[in-house]
Amino acid sequence: MSAASLDGILGSGRAARLRIWLRRAWALTVKEYIQLFRDTVLVLFMAYAFTLDVYVAGVGVNWQLNNAGLGVHDADKSTASREVAGRFRAPYFRNLGSVATREAGQRLLDQGGLMVVLDFPPDFGADILRGRQTAIQMQVDTANSAIGSLATSYGGEIVGRYGLERALNVPELNVDKIHGVPFIIDETRAWYNQNQEDSWFMALAEIISNMTLLSILLPAAALAREKERGTVEQLMVSPLSPVQILAPKILAMGSVILAGLAAGVFAVVIGVFHVPARGSLLLFFAVSALYIAFTAGIGLLIATIARNLAQVGMLTVLVFAPMIFLSGAWTPPEAMPSWMRLLMDCLPMHYMLDAGFGILLKGQGVGELWRELLGIIGLGAPILALSLWRFRRQFR
Amino acid sequence: MNLIRVAALAQKEWREILRDRLFFSLSFVVPALLMLLFGYGLSLDVENIPFAIHDLDRTPQSRDYAYRFIHSRYFDFKGYVTGEAQAQQLLGQGSVRAVIVIDRNFGRELSADRPAHVQTLLDGTFPYRTQVTKGYITAINTAVTRELLADYMVRVKGLSPSRAQDAVDPVRLEVRYLYNQGLKSSWGVASKLIMALLLMCPPFLTALGVVREKESGAIYNIYASNATRAEFLVGKLNPYFCIAFINAMVLWAMACFLFGAPFKGSATAFLFATVLYVLCSTGIGLLISILVGSQVAAMIVTAVVTAMPSMLYSGLLTPVASMNWTARGVAAVFPAMYYGRIIESCFLKGLGWGNAWGDMLVLAGYGAGLFAVGYAMFHKRGKT
Repeated sequence: MSAASLDGILGSGRAARLRIWLRRAWALTVKEYIQLFRDTVLVLFMAYAFTLDVYVAGVGVNWQLNNAGLGVHDADKSTASREVAGRFRAPYFRNLGSVATREAGQRLLDQGGLMVVLDFPPDFGADILRGRQTAIQMQVDTANSAIGSLATSYGGEIVGRYGLERALNVPELNVDKIHGVPFIIDETRAWYNQNQEDSWFMALAEIISNMTLLSILLPAAALAREKERGTVEQLMVSPLSPVQILAPKILAMGSVILAGLAAGVFAVVIGVFHVPARGSLLLFFAVSALYIAFTAGIGLLIATIARNLAQVGMLTVLVFAPMIFLSGAWTPPEAMPSWMRLLMDCLPMHYMLDAGFGILLKGQGVGELWRELLGIIGLGAPILALSLWRFRRQFR
Repeated sequence: MNLIRVAALAQKEWREILRDRLFFSLSFVVPALLMLLFGYGLSLDVENIPFAIHDLDRTPQSRDYAYRFIHSRYFDFKGYVTGEAQAQQLLGQGSVRAVIVIDRNFGRELSADRPAHVQTLLDGTFPYRTQVTKGYITAINTAVTRELLADYMVRVKGLSPSRAQDAVDPVRLEVRYLYNQGLKSSWGVASKLIMALLLMCPPFLTALGVVREKESGAIYNIYASNATRAEFLVGKLNPYFCIAFINAMVLWAMACFLFGAPFKGSATAFLFATVLYVLCSTGIGLLISILVGSQVAAMIVTAVVTAMPSMLYSGLLTPVASMNWTARGVAAVFPAMYYGRIIESCFLKGLGWGNAWGDMLVLAGYGAGLFAVGYAMFHKRGKT
């Protein structure tokens, strides 16, 4: 906006004051930029957090049951037992051959060489032929319960299917081949992520987590550093208001974080993993900018409490770890106890994740995201106001 | 190495920590608090999945079928929807994760002994949740089909009800959960949380140790003193190691007594491994502190390098074995994976030295490596 038009709107006296206000804030913003970019290690690790780290999380972390080592203790060695064992196959299971005794199977499970051991009783095949009910034992290493429960679920599905085929006396449970019997045919469709790519979820969750971490830590450290060194006293005696001191920090750090986010989203999330970006990217970045600004408020609040950077470090862990954990980036909210889901509703990051998935995967717009936007603003604004109030009180 | 000088340096560090009361208390409060929160909350047992039903049929059969889901403890019924648009809206909002659509001719087909169709729409944003939900739905569908078939065989083929039962369910799968009966993730999680939290918190304790002195200039006292580099580093690490080790013991006690995780293995093996592991995790922070130039950078690097990987790549959420080679590489770079295996064998599997010595060797080598690199990179003559 040109000086002349400002004069026209505000009257020349107020316009001049606004210009001075903005110029001072801008000078401090430039100072923050310079300080940030002189720290090469810091910039390098921020770049890493938004690109390579997101790539590794997306490509590497896998929630599927994948090649789970399977051993078979077959005391029967009939066609039937061989057929059932043969159905535990890739991609879920990897048959690593037979184990001679139960003890050998147990030992392999202990050592972690196997995840599942199937145990067929001696007259398994004969019972099947005679139409007598029989049972297979399946031992599952559930030390990791996510994969354990998936293994159990797939095992149940395989055996259930085999049982129904025997009952109907058909070689294969094919929709076209079942006639004249009552039967439930279920067709499942997974929306928003048809091929169930873990990378879509992991990459987005990771980039939003890293954005949150940096939005808290960078402003917190920037302010705490000034307190520790005493340069904040210098700022206090300068003709700057508390807003003028804090806003440039949020602006400088926030814009760098937003640039990192954009690089990560275009290069990795969309570039490498082909997340569809069904909604408006502009909206995604606008919501992210809002979120970064308010999350920076948490960082500034930490900095008003802490006296030095070591305290900032501990306080950040205290705030960030529960936040990311409760937000739904690591575990599905449906797995949490109900009182934790109440806590979850109080976390801005939870709304940011929902908004991120909503815009990029579900193609939602502002109209459908009003709840998330309300959450981000309604929770973020009071925190930012509180940090401003505390900062003002500390130094006046 | 002169032990008196090490003791003097350690004492100075202790005093500094003790005088910073907020930092000192946080260094104990944070891990314990996170243990409480994660221990009670970190669960992957997906239950109470919110779902809705779109019943196009509205016959007694379709209602019976719907009740199978409504009464299941795995599902949380949110009501009937009236149309596709409403189903789409609910899935979009995330207020339901699944919508079961019962076909228009469901009841008529079943009454005529013909296959009936249903369709399940799932929210696919979190693939793990989707897979688990799909598993539950398939299991319920299989159970319903079995009942329908048994009933059909009794009516049409004249089998006795018990023979029909056997015929439709010829093979039962008896699942035995090893190490963790009842598939409670809080057990397995509580013991593994020791590993994750000991990688998440201690590096933050040490990360500023050296760089703080560099920034304030106090390091020149060390440069000018007769204490050697090794003495300085050992003295520096001493108090943080003690704090982290006490934390480890507190976390262990919480896992055993609060969360009831069974500790079946060798206590000495566990103790020894914990000493090594705590040395590694505090050592990572110290190494970062030596390598970076500013406190802010030290904190960012620590957060990016330890906080996130301690959860993602340690085998806490998903096992390392099912990761692809890139992530397995990342996992192998952190000590958590090795310690995690020792914890697993000590806690859940009831094993001891025999299984753990290989991983202990790795941890010992890791700690020695950290110290060697730190020693080589720390110069008493500042580069100017």
